[in-house]
Amino acid sequence: MKEKFEPNIIGFLCNWCSYAGADLAGTSRIQYPPNLKVIRVMCSGRVNPIFVINALQQGADGVLIGGCHPGDCHYERGNYLARRRMAVLKKLLEHTGIDPNRVRMTWVSAAEGNKFAEVVKEVTEDIKKLGPMQHFKRENKW
Amino acid sequence: MVNEKELQDAVEKTVKKGDVKYVVGYEKGTFGFQAMPSFAYKPEDAKKFIFSPLCVHNLAVFPMLEEKPPLRKGEEPDSRKIGVVVKGCDSRAIVQIIQEKGLDRDKVVIIGIPCTGVVDPKKIEAKFPGQVKNVDVKDDGDKFVVTIDGKTTKVAKDELMPDKCKTCEYPTPILYDILIGKEVKGTKKEDYKDVKVFEKKSMKDKWEYWEKQFEKCIRCYACRNACPLCYCKECMVDQLDPQWVRRSVDVSENTAWNLLRAFHLAGRCIGCGQCERVCPMGLPLMELNKKLEKDVKELFEYTAGINAEEKPLLAMFKPDDPEEFIL
Repeated sequence: MKEKFEPNIIGFLCNWCSYAGADLAGTSRIQYPPNLKVIRVMCSGRVNPIFVINALQQGADGVLIGGCHPGDCHYERGNYLARRRMAVLKKLLEHTGIDPNRVRMTWVSAAEGNKFAEVVKEVTEDIKKLGPMQHFKRENKW
Repeated sequence: MVNEKELQDAVEKTVKKGDVKYVVGYEKGTFGFQAMPSFAYKPEDAKKFIFSPLCVHNLAVFPMLEEKPPLRKGEEPDSRKIGVVVKGCDSRAIVQIIQEKGLDRDKVVIIGIPCTGVVDPKKIEAKFPGQVKNVDVKDDGDKFVVTIDGKTTKVAKDELMPDKCKTCEYPTPILYDILIGKEVKGTKKEDYKDVKVFEKKSMKDKWEYWEKQFEKCIRCYACRNACPLCYCKECMVDQLDPQWVRRSVDVSENTAWNLLRAFHLAGRCIGCGQCERVCPMGLPLMELNKKLEKDVKELFEYTAGINAEEKPLLAMFKPDDPEEFIL
């Protein structure tokens, strides 16, 4: 029997909002898919596009970046800068034939446990539809 | 048509002033259809300087290559300026570097040349193959006059020009201290025709095309070295800890390198086409650069290398930036 495809999604969540939002989803016992592997960063502005491309190389099927809502950033402007960067990166990925939906971005505040669960569900569904990332996965594991 | 005497005089005058370490320009090459960079340390060196449609290099890299060795006790740093001969596109590179504070405006002397288009070395070599002795190419209205062994041939400009010149909007340098000759009005318009055609293809076709291209890459990093805007002290691909991109040459690492190179030039690339010119494997790198140039123009109404006072694209934001992709 063929195994069902379970995507590997890397989540870069900002310490102040999205990570706390994920925490709230957990403490509130809200169910969401276990495909998201969370990496905590201090701000969504910390997410360098190099991280995203490296994640895709190392076998992630998708990347989710979570930040504070515009205007709520702990560092005032980090999420705005991240938004610009990701807008450009998605355009670049689209042009080279890698579905830009593999890289997602979301604003989740610390009080939005429900929204966090919804977002993870949606992203997991989308990436399941896209199938495994095979474009430029790193083949040598050493 | 640029008056070479005027250029040589300007260079000579600049070097004579004494506050300039050297002026970098072009001199006649020794092989085929090539001109080469030339350095004037002394006033008499200025006599070598030329300007012809063969002067394709972007000399804006040279101020960025200046080494700043550690100083001995009591030693003063070399605060002399560097002179650069620039075409329209090259001057935009300098504007962009100044905008990013990579270079001080007071530290460069810019000798601007209004440019009416250069030749594409690859195209001219394909048209006149096997040319070993150096030859002469001159500009004549809408034609290039190619002289080989005393025989002259006139070739339409469109046939030999690189794509960047066909859609050049800024033939006259934007920033200069000395301008040689008269300003040239930019009549062409960048319409991103090729990018738009490619955008219509399906995801699968796009990846098939790029996979083939990236497979060819040998990661010699010539594109990085020739680019006037790749001037990081340590490039991210040279880092060993963390090692973002591995040294092995395969599709995965090549794709990572090429995507990151293009991304690092988003909103900075001024379209001088040096990366594509120097690529030994013939990767169409300008297609990626042009695509990002177009999108940045559409999304953020920003063009690189026009205004040295503006903030760099990815270092600023507007509260109402597009965010329809955000969940």
